[in-house]
Order: sequence, then structure tokens, then C-alpha cells
Amino acid sequence: MDKFANQLHEDAAIIDAEITAELDSRIHASLQNVTPESARPRAPAARSPLFWWGSSLTGIAAAFGIIAIVNLDRPGPLPQVQVQEPVAHIVVPELDLEVEAAMLTSPLAEELAKLQADLRRAEEAVRDDVRIDF
Amino acid sequence: MSDELKLINSAKGGSVDAFTELVHGYRERLFRFLLTRCANHADAEDALQDTFINAYRYIATYNPQWRFSTWLYRIAIRNAGRLHTENVAELGELSDESNDPLAHCIAESERHNLWRSAKRLLSDEVFAAMWLRYVEDMSIKDIAVVLERSSSWTKVNLLRGRRTLEADMNNGAQDPGSEAYG
Repeated sequence: MDKFANQLHEDAAIIDAEITAELDSRIHASLQNVTPESARPRAPAARSPLFWWGSSLTGIAAAFGIIAIVNLDRPGPLPQVQVQEPVAHIVVPELDLEVEAAMLTSPLAEELAKLQADLRRAEEAVRDDVRIDF
Repeated sequence: MSDELKLINSAKGGSVDAFTELVHGYRERLFRFLLTRCANHADAEDALQDTFINAYRYIATYNPQWRFSTWLYRIAIRNAGRLHTENVAELGELSDESNDPLAHCIAESERHNLWRSAKRLLSDEVFAAMWLRYVEDMSIKDIAVVLERSSSWTKVNLLRGRRTLEADMNNGAQDPGSEAYG
């Protein structure tokens, strides 16, 4: 041991760490009230791969069995039920509107007659002027 | 089977006497260590008591692969840390030099103790590593287990701690008026 290590060792030994009778009895009394806890239960041993394969196959077989049972117990086709159309017929009420037909063509016919009369007068005027028969 | 292992097995079976005999040789060593880690003498006593109670309660979990002292120191460090945390939470940071148990436990003529310098200069963990190495003669591996650190961390910090203390020691030797080694 080198000088430095020796020095540390000696300096530690100098530190007064006397256990008083009071502390000793206190520790002893407190230990009397403690019960050691039992060791934690050991983890179960690792299972062999065969175990896991077996478990998987059993699970798959059980799942298929349940699916088959459920499908066999399924009831037959349900009776056809005619369902009325829920949409109600919409009845549009006929409106009894008493409306007189508008004589929209009357002014135009009058206008045409006036134009033809004007044309005839114009022809007569021209005939009178030039005395030419068309 | 060693005597220690026989006592451990008896303690596992619920024998307080076997446990008391088992830890008898560790009492002063542990208490000395706890005095360096706790804020005051009373806390060190509480930490020692808690360490023994916890060790006895959970002795079934002790793994004989490790030295019993390694396991015991690990519990002690945790208890000291827990007490420190509780005290800080209740009273705030405890840095009162007048309450330093090391100051009270070192005789007046021996005040220039290297461990007082270590406490001043090193972090708690490095201090503990140094203590376990140079006072308890623990292996690097055991120290790493106690501190829950890697072996590399332990090696590096032991070296740093040693260099720091040696430098402080040399400075103290050169400067007769210094506080630590005057």
C-alpha cells in the first residue's frame, strides 16, 4: 500500500464511530419488530418450443371448432317481408284559375292591315304619277 | 459453508440473533461511512438503524454471488441518500459546517484529516468510491455494484479523486498556512 492509501486508511480510522449502548439497544429493539420477507417467487422455467407449438395448434383447432358450431346453428332463410314503400303519393291539387286568354295577336293583325292599306295607297299614288301599269 | 453464510441462512429463517451476530462486525465500519455522508450525527444513526432493518427485512433477496459487505453498503448508501432527500425537502439545503459529523468525530488535534478534504473537494459518489476503495479495500467491481455505476466510471473517478486529493495534499504541504494541512 502506498503512502497516500496508508494516509487515507489511517485518517478513516481516526474518525470516531463508537456505537453507543443507546443506539445499539435501539437497533436491536427495532429488529425484533421486523419479519424477513420471503424470497420472491422464482420465475417459471422456460417452456420448450414443443409446448408453444402444441398450444398454438390447440388454439387454432378450438377457433375452427367454434366457427363451425356457430355456422351449423345458424337459422334458415328468413321469410320475405314485403315492405311498403314509405314514400307517400303526392297529390297536387288542380288549380281552377279562371283566366281570360290574352289577345296578343290582335294589335299585330291591325298593324298588318294598316300597312297593307298604306301600301295600296302608295301604289295608287305612284300609278297616278307615272301612269305606268305594273 | 462459511460461518457468514450459515448466519445468513439462519437470518433468512427469521433469526434476529443470527442477523445481529452477522452485522456485528460491520456496525462501526458502516457507521463511520455514514458519518461521512450524513448531514449530522443523528441522521447517521438513523441511517444505520434503517440499513440494518432493511437488510434484515430483505435478506432473502441477498445474492451470495456478492460479498455481504457490498450488499450492506449498497443499502446504506440508499438510506443515506433517502434521508438527505427528505431533509432537503423539509429544511432546505443542509450545508451547515457546524453540524458536519466529521468535524465532531475527529479529535481536535487531527483536524487536518484527508477525508475532510475529500468531502470538501469531491462529489458524494466519488467520495464514496474513494472510501470503499481505500478504507474497505473493495474491488472495482464491487464498488461499481455498490454505486450502481459501470466499472469504467469507477476506475476513472477513483483516479480523478486520487489526483485531486494528492494535489490538495501537496498544496497543503507546500503552504504551511493552509486550512487543510497547515
